[in-house]
Amino acid sequence: MQQEFSKAEKFWMNFKLYQLWRFIVLNLKIYTVAVQSKRK
Amino acid sequence: MAKILIIGAGFAGHTAALYLGSKIGRKHEVTVVSNRDVFSYLPSWVWVGVGHMKPEKTVFKLKPVYDRKNIRFVHAAVKEIHPDAGDQYVLADEVGSGRETRLDYDYLVIAPGPLLNFAGTPGLGPENGFTHSICSYPHAIKTRDAYLALCERMKKGEKVKIVIGTGHPMATCQGAAFEYIVNVHKDLVKKGLRDKADILWLSNEPALGDFGVNGVQIKRNGHMLRSEEFIKSVFNDHGIRYQIQTGVTKVEEGKIHWQNYEGEEGVTEFDFAMLIPQFKGQPFKYIGKDGSDIASKIVNPAGFVLVDGKYGLPYPELAQTPEAWPAKYQNPSYPNIYAAGIAFAPPGPISKPFTNKNNLAIAPAPPRTGMVSGTIGRVVAMNIIDAVNGREPSHHESMTEMVAACVASMGDSLWDGSAVTIVMRPVVPDRKKFHNEYGRDLFISHLEMGLSGAWMKFMLHHTFMWKFKARPGWTLIPE
Repeated sequence: MQQEFSKAEKFWMNFKLYQLWRFIVLNLKIYTVAVQSKRK
Repeated sequence: MAKILIIGAGFAGHTAALYLGSKIGRKHEVTVVSNRDVFSYLPSWVWVGVGHMKPEKTVFKLKPVYDRKNIRFVHAAVKEIHPDAGDQYVLADEVGSGRETRLDYDYLVIAPGPLLNFAGTPGLGPENGFTHSICSYPHAIKTRDAYLALCERMKKGEKVKIVIGTGHPMATCQGAAFEYIVNVHKDLVKKGLRDKADILWLSNEPALGDFGVNGVQIKRNGHMLRSEEFIKSVFNDHGIRYQIQTGVTKVEEGKIHWQNYEGEEGVTEFDFAMLIPQFKGQPFKYIGKDGSDIASKIVNPAGFVLVDGKYGLPYPELAQTPEAWPAKYQNPSYPNIYAAGIAFAPPGPISKPFTNKNNLAIAPAPPRTGMVSGTIGRVVAMNIIDAVNGREPSHHESMTEMVAACVASMGDSLWDGSAVTIVMRPVVPDRKKFHNEYGRDLFISHLEMGLSGAWMKFMLHHTFMWKFKARPGWTLIPE
């Protein structure tokens, strides 16, 4: 069971280029599901 | 011409008003009555509470927006609802003059937000108690002032005890308290004062990371990751102590009294506490044609509006009955009355409730703020548009279908800030549709922490202020 974040996890959490990628992915994910909801 | 009256201008009421005003406001009368003449973007009050955002950046005047969208605005506090056919109206006292005003309606949306029940816990709250809250605009400002004064004490070398969490055994909105505790931690780190503060998370959740929604579960690299482990890691990483399964029963100056699942009673000392109160429905009077009190036909004992849900199921049965959750938010006794946001009565808790040996129920109430509120506001508006146009209300979205995204800020810096991004579908587990023990879509559900979340939170503040001001393209922005 995870109790503390590892050094590698902390690195990726603040690695700007990777986070930019996550930002795009998360936005697309949230937008896609929210738009599906709007059609109901 | 139909008269549509909306009580409240928060996430739910304001969303409903914008859709109704835009789509049918020219042909029909759309009125919003609210005791506040501003819209407040509540999610950013966690930043107000640590002095990182000016309070005025979280609010804007409603009337100019409503003037553009064919919506009439009445600045008044509602006191009575008269729902019987033939003579349907609402009585309100105008803010300022105190003059009584009568507002007739054909369709009514009740979306006034919660009554912050500080009185439910003796000694709780900033007005008649000893704790703070970020649940209202003046409270967030008062919390900021108290927090900054505390920082001054720490700068002089004083060690302090900070307690953040829930202030009632049945409180909800743990997410806001979580955001606040991690923002306080980050702010103290930046100020070089973290070693002067002992920070405790005190909550009524059955498990860490429960957030009143039975936690969030995701599949990552082939393994299941639960929000309990995730939040535990956050707290361990930040040196935040935690005490869960605890209901606060009373607060005195510097002392929080509580009971836990085992029935043990205890006292926690504090120098600064931000505890979320219990939420109740607004105490409107519901009066029949003959002058009788007909509240029981419209609201439950807590003041939440009864809608098209299946009420009274015991928790184990409710957890297996997704169709018990309302989908149209329409009152069964008065089908022209809808409730949106926190105002509707949920059929029961999402998280497993618990009653200890002293008969104290410790159970988080279902959260229905933010995205959930906005979505319900839209569903209600679309159904009223259907009804006004002579069609059966066709729109529906229950919390067992609804997706919710929550970005919990953990520091607002766009360079080294962070946030937990949570996506869950559905908000209320549906074990009939999703055949896993969690009742959730594990492909869509998401839990992630990082700098991208801080960018998301910043972006959400600005895009939602744009949306709620009904600027061009506002309908393209999801609720």
